[in-house]
Amino acid sequence: MTMSDEANEPAVVQLSGVRKEYGDAIALDGVSLEVRAGEAVAVMGPSGSGKSTLLNVIAGLDRPTGGSVVVHGDDLGRLDEKGLALFRRRRIGMIFQFFNLIDDLPALDNVALAAQLAGVAAPHARRRALELLDELGIAGRRNTYPAQLSGGERQRVAVARALMNRPALLLADEPTGALDSRVGEQVMDLLLDLNQIGQTLLMVTHDERLATRCASRVIEIVDGRVARERTLERTS
Amino acid sequence: MSAVWLAARAAVRRRRLQTAVVGIVVGVSTTMIVVALGLLAVSSGPFDQAYARQLGAHLAVTYDRAKATDAQLTAAAGWSGVEAVAGPFPQATVELGALGRPRAQPLTVVGRADPEGPVDRLNVWDGRWATAPGEIVVNQNPVGQGFFFRIGDQVTTPEGGTLTVVGRAFSMSRSADAWVSPEQMATLGPTATQMLYRFAAAGTTAQVEAGQAEVTKGVPAQARLGSTSYLVLRNEAAREAATYVTFLVAFGLLGLAVAILIVANVVSGAVVAGFRHIGVLKALGFTPTQVLVVYLTMVSVPAVAGCALGTVLGNVLARPLLSQAFRNLGSAGIGVPAWVSVAALLGVPLMVALSALVPALRARRLPAAEAISAGSAQHAGRGLRAQRWLSGTRLPRAVSLGLGLPFARPARSALTMAAVVLGVTSVTLAIGLGDSLNRYQRAEARSGAVQVEVFPAGGPRGGSPGDEALLRSVPGTRYVLGSADVPVRQVGNNEQTMLRLYKGDTGPLGQQVLDGRWPSGPGEVAVAKRFLVQRGLSIGDTFTIEAGQGPVPVRIVGMVLYNETETIVADWSTAALVAPDAVLDRFEVQLAEGTDPQAYMAEVTKAAPNLVAVPPEGAEQFVWIVLVTVTLLTLMLAVVAALGVFNTAVLSTRERRRDLGMLKSIGMTPGQVVVMVVTSMAALGALGGLLGIPIGVAAHRVVLPAMADAAQVGFPASVLDVYKLPILALLALAGVAIAAVGALMPARSAARVTIAEVLHNE
Ligand SMILES: Nc1ncnc2c1ncn2[C@@H]1O[C@H](COP(=O)(O)OP(=O)(O)OP(=O)(O)O)[C@@H](O)[C@H]1O
Ligand SMILES: [Mg+2]
Repeated sequence: MTMSDEANEPAVVQLSGVRKEYGDAIALDGVSLEVRAGEAVAVMGPSGSGKSTLLNVIAGLDRPTGGSVVVHGDDLGRLDEKGLALFRRRRIGMIFQFFNLIDDLPALDNVALAAQLAGVAAPHARRRALELLDELGIAGRRNTYPAQLSGGERQRVAVARALMNRPALLLADEPTGALDSRVGEQVMDLLLDLNQIGQTLLMVTHDERLATRCASRVIEIVDGRVARERTLERTS
Repeated sequence: MSAVWLAARAAVRRRRLQTAVVGIVVGVSTTMIVVALGLLAVSSGPFDQAYARQLGAHLAVTYDRAKATDAQLTAAAGWSGVEAVAGPFPQATVELGALGRPRAQPLTVVGRADPEGPVDRLNVWDGRWATAPGEIVVNQNPVGQGFFFRIGDQVTTPEGGTLTVVGRAFSMSRSADAWVSPEQMATLGPTATQMLYRFAAAGTTAQVEAGQAEVTKGVPAQARLGSTSYLVLRNEAAREAATYVTFLVAFGLLGLAVAILIVANVVSGAVVAGFRHIGVLKALGFTPTQVLVVYLTMVSVPAVAGCALGTVLGNVLARPLLSQAFRNLGSAGIGVPAWVSVAALLGVPLMVALSALVPALRARRLPAAEAISAGSAQHAGRGLRAQRWLSGTRLPRAVSLGLGLPFARPARSALTMAAVVLGVTSVTLAIGLGDSLNRYQRAEARSGAVQVEVFPAGGPRGGSPGDEALLRSVPGTRYVLGSADVPVRQVGNNEQTMLRLYKGDTGPLGQQVLDGRWPSGPGEVAVAKRFLVQRGLSIGDTFTIEAGQGPVPVRIVGMVLYNETETIVADWSTAALVAPDAVLDRFEVQLAEGTDPQAYMAEVTKAAPNLVAVPPEGAEQFVWIVLVTVTLLTLMLAVVAALGVFNTAVLSTRERRRDLGMLKSIGMTPGQVVVMVVTSMAALGALGGLLGIPIGVAAHRVVLPAMADAAQVGFPASVLDVYKLPILALLALAGVAIAAVGALMPARSAARVTIAEVLHNE
């Protein structure tokens, strides 16, 4: 996929003048940016600069104090709590640094859960979950509980869960942060593969090497502002 | 120590909700414990306690003033077995009229200079004592109701004098209907003298009779007009109280059990929820014992506050309840005994400390690292199979997730459920017993059947043979049952017994036959169960009665439902054998459909000026007590059980904040969160109801006959048969409702969890 291709794609994410304040602390200070369908964008920046806040605002997990967030045509400012939940369910897949799996459910049910919440019957949800686990190479661990999975396996389960509802946008907040570098690379490869089959991806990472490896664009955030944007030639 | 105090104070502040829940639960539980213990304490001999407080007379004797002098009576009372004596007091029966009342009433009036004294200390609860001529004090139960004199009322004496009511006093010894000053008494023409005795030994009838023999030695034989043993009053009081004391005791115990369970659950939950905090404290260098102290302090602060408030509230609530329950004893001094408050103030904090100690000891031993991770690292492996199975069902996922939640902490769920089970059991039992007692009381009073009672205006034995026919001729009369009481004595037994002869429509109006049949021929009688039990007789037996006409053998043909032990029921045909000149002097009437009782009573007075018609004494009083008790205890149990559920829901949603955040991040709506949390608790509630209802019904089957046995009363099967399907369905819903109400608030706050924050922080 080339630059010009992506430029013609519709914008999946459109932020304009987004502010987020926590009391006196300003986490986001007028951020405007766009992510187009099929892009893989990396968000980088020093600790505390507002990267996670940015992701949360895009995912509808947090409401900005100013500006507008439009994702896949939905103006999040117009949605109520339930609307946001349905929006997340249909449009967003999220991956966290610490996986956030439900410890009481085996891998398969953790993945199936995302569809079941949307009302998909258990057998269908499990079938699709198994397909995803298979694609991610951990179908053999489907009946294992999170506590018995390795970090890399847990993150794959989390990725499978994020993909369960075929999201328009996959958000990842330091997806490799809790993994050693070898396993981290495997997860990065996985995200890259997903992007290459068309999945729009927005991820936060501290790792310049990983960013250059799978992102087509890097947005640098400093003190809640977009400090720099650069387009990359992918190394792989 | 100051660091420990600082940490404990901080812990209390940071856990406002937890602290409030501990405080409220301990408070409500203490209230329940105080009411329960108060009922237990007071019900064990309320009469004796109240009687002792008034220094009530063991024996009250009335002497003929013309035959015995005051000096003789005082001398005779000098017997060594007399502990205290009051009197001689001049006494007269005076027809006192009151404004607005058609007829003068014969009242026993005693001249007494003061209400205190060594015997029969009167409780002057309204106004003051009569000290001057023209003043009168009436004997009235402070918690009584209905027709009574009020302060300022004028009463007229037969001589045309006027007395003003200046006070209302209550004598448990029932020593008089009214009192005046001795000077005033002189003008009323006293004919008798009253002596009130307390004996050193007065436990049995024999002892009281022996005492009577001693204090009448040296008094002319014909001088004694009559006497009352306090044992008679005591029996009467006991009989009234016995039925519901058993009921109150059953409730006291249940309330106690629920309170203990929930306090244990809440307190241990509070400590477990603080494990993570414990790790931090340990990392800071707190010794294990200091940690223990921090935790005990943390729960003690709200617990002690709740306990103190609960004790006060319990006392406040128990007072009206107890004084209503034992109103026949007068409300004087009937309240929760001080030891109950002391026991609650010491016992409840001790119980709280014990509930906290077990998890606190665990916290003390917990390695810091493990404690720190205790909050987030779930112990995988618990109830997983259930979760697994649930996730495959067709239920909406929010519901099946909710159903799985209780399995994550089986011990806590079990404790919560046990409280719900006990709560539902008590509510079931309460409603059942309340209904049963109501039915019994109504059956006993023949409520509904007897609508109007009619008496001859001339008082007992004042009736004339034509009364029944006259009454039947009044329009609106449907059924009439006439009766006359003849005092008899069972040969070989000293108790006074009353033979009640019935004539008329016994079918619709007579007492319910519990066993055997209604007496129909001469020499046939029916009795109450207590009569059979106390005299060792059974249906078919014959015994002999004496009524001045010589001995008459009678045969018991039935056991009937009524509560007057010393009464024997017979058909009018028996009158010929016992009292040929007896005349009906009481009529019970059922009216034709659509007849207004009020209008009917006026009609009777018009048609038969020699008859007085009154509404029958209802069972309302008793019903009121039962209703209040049932409502109060049910409400408290429901509140405490709901709080227990609330607490469990708060703890489990707190522990699962991260899971909740994650679920929301993958699209769980706030509504689904509420459904999930409420379902998790409603499941416990439903299960609690399912277990609690049968236990409650079974308990009812055990408690009610036990109560009846204790009170020596027989009851018809209809009294036992109270649980109908709609009631059971309602009770089952109650369990779910209690749990759902308790879970709703935590569920909504869980739905509001800011996802970004929990996921970011943990
Ligand atoms: N819930 C919150 N309450 C108050 N302040 C917050 C909250 N969340 C974030 N902040 C503040 O907002 C700023 C941005 O935080 P954010 O988590 O977005 O940073 P970040 O770039 O993700 O940092 P890191 O790389 O360390 O994850 C920080 O100063 C942080 O302290
Ligand atoms: Mg971050």
